[in-house]
Amino acid sequence: MATLALPPRAERDGDKQRRSVLKSNGALVAYVFILPYVVFFLAFRILPAIYAAVLSFAKYGLSGNVDFVGLDNYARLLADDLFWNSLRVTGVYTVLAIPLTVAISLAVATLCNRTLRGMSVYRTIFFLPVVTSPVMSGIIWVWIFSHNGPLTWFLNTLHLPAPAWLQSEIFVLPALAIVSAWSNFGYDMLILLAGMLAIPREYYEAAELDGTSGWQRFRHITLPLLKPALFFVVVLEIIRSFQVFDTIFVMTGGGPVRASYSLTFLIYDQGFGYFDFGYASAAGMVLLVITLVVSLAQRRLLGRSSS
Amino acid sequence: MTAVATPETRTASSPRPAAPRAPRLTRHQRGRLYHLPLAIGALLTAFPFYAMLALSVQPGQAVRLPDSLLPSSISFDAYSRALGSSSVPTWAINSTIYSVVSVVLVLLFASMAGYAFAKKRFFGRELIFWGFVAMMMVPHHLTLIPQFILVSELGGLDTMWGLIVPTIANAQAMFLMRQFIQDIPDELIEAARIDGAGEFRIYWSIILPQTKPIMATLGTFVFLWHWNDFLWPLVSQRSPDNYVLTVGLNTLQEQQVPLATIMAAAVVTFIPALIVFILLQKYFVRGVMMSGLK
Repeated sequence: MATLALPPRAERDGDKQRRSVLKSNGALVAYVFILPYVVFFLAFRILPAIYAAVLSFAKYGLSGNVDFVGLDNYARLLADDLFWNSLRVTGVYTVLAIPLTVAISLAVATLCNRTLRGMSVYRTIFFLPVVTSPVMSGIIWVWIFSHNGPLTWFLNTLHLPAPAWLQSEIFVLPALAIVSAWSNFGYDMLILLAGMLAIPREYYEAAELDGTSGWQRFRHITLPLLKPALFFVVVLEIIRSFQVFDTIFVMTGGGPVRASYSLTFLIYDQGFGYFDFGYASAAGMVLLVITLVVSLAQRRLLGRSSS
Repeated sequence: MTAVATPETRTASSPRPAAPRAPRLTRHQRGRLYHLPLAIGALLTAFPFYAMLALSVQPGQAVRLPDSLLPSSISFDAYSRALGSSSVPTWAINSTIYSVVSVVLVLLFASMAGYAFAKKRFFGRELIFWGFVAMMMVPHHLTLIPQFILVSELGGLDTMWGLIVPTIANAQAMFLMRQFIQDIPDELIEAARIDGAGEFRIYWSIILPQTKPIMATLGTFVFLWHWNDFLWPLVSQRSPDNYVLTVGLNTLQEQQVPLATIMAAAVVTFIPALIVFILLQKYFVRGVMMSGLK
């Protein structure tokens, strides 16, 4: 550490003394404090991650024997229509879910960004789906989308054609994207709201004096200054969409005809449906690579925008 | 609802920059206009919850729209069926143990490690810390199978400890703990040490009381994560007596149990999460906002 300007002597002594107090208790105590955490983290996070990478090059027998098969699992993946289908399903789902979720969160955050009587009640309601288990929301939404459910009833009352949502190969992913938007917009809305609250009031007051419209202020003040928060929310939703599982499991089981058979569903199905642990781990490695690419791209882009 | 769009307010809000403006609305009046979209949004958001509740108390089994959503009389038969004959109470106990024990252990281990990473110097501190944080990027679906094999080797499948133990080294919790404890002034620790407090006492009576706000935030998060957790309980618990509520609820749906009973069980599943959220909302909301501002 380069000290360019020396602080007054007394202060430096205090500094030295503090450092020595912190040091004197020795590293041993520190190791004792991190020990329980480190043991569990090594055993149940790091070891499984390494073992997953190993398994992806192996065949796991039912008796627990591991036979290395080189790149076989990956070669099988590349030749497997089911795998390409799962990537397509995951991609389409992501493309549908993200704009929907982010648009709703942005609109609701804009509405919530003001003092109004009863605002805390609104915010609590918007946040309720976030604390709801995906299994529970899945069960309710299965009924909402069912042929004798309220959505079909509503569309029929308006004399509009109602699709068979979850039984339709075309509409199953839009239906799941709607559920995702309903479940997650409250969380994203809060993040965007925090970003909006951080924008200085004076900007808006000055713009208002210049006679700008509400839309102009939103377009030229809120949106540009909200970029980092929006970016964060988009990355969050990409990762979330790639890892969606619970709602698919409960609502469609990957169907109809594998139209919602996502990458995570493939991992689960190959792993715990067919007990093909090696193959499932190879698919898991693909999910890891996608997640890493998204996270690193985020870091690169964030670094560029802040510099 | 109070937002009634009178003719005057419509004129005032329509964008006609050239025309002489109608008398401007006061801030208060303009504010009221926002109640309309907010209320519509809130109704749409709340509809699935309302439907769940309405279906759970409807008398009889047949679902007919729109009558089922506006039941003229209320019956709690579905609740007595859900709580009486099925395994819902057992699952509720399992969910409670899983969530509460996990919260206690996660907070204990994360605060101990967070304290050491924040305030102690030792060899490998930064490497270990950032290595752990980087592990957050590894998706759970990848580690699920090795975790399953490991717990199975340890004889923990279909047991409560096998369910809890893999989830207690929580990287997010440890990270946030360390960030929070870093801001606790060193002087507090020094003063306690001069007074002759031992290492564990400093952690227990100086550090822990200071971490109350982050404890509340993390406690709420961790509780809800575990209460709503599905995938790990699904693969690790075999016998129905060891299911948690989310897994049990899913099997009810698969077994074609009457809709009212499933909805009653869903309400029962939701109530504890709702209570925890309403009571600790302030801390939960703060936690979410923190995650976005970094």
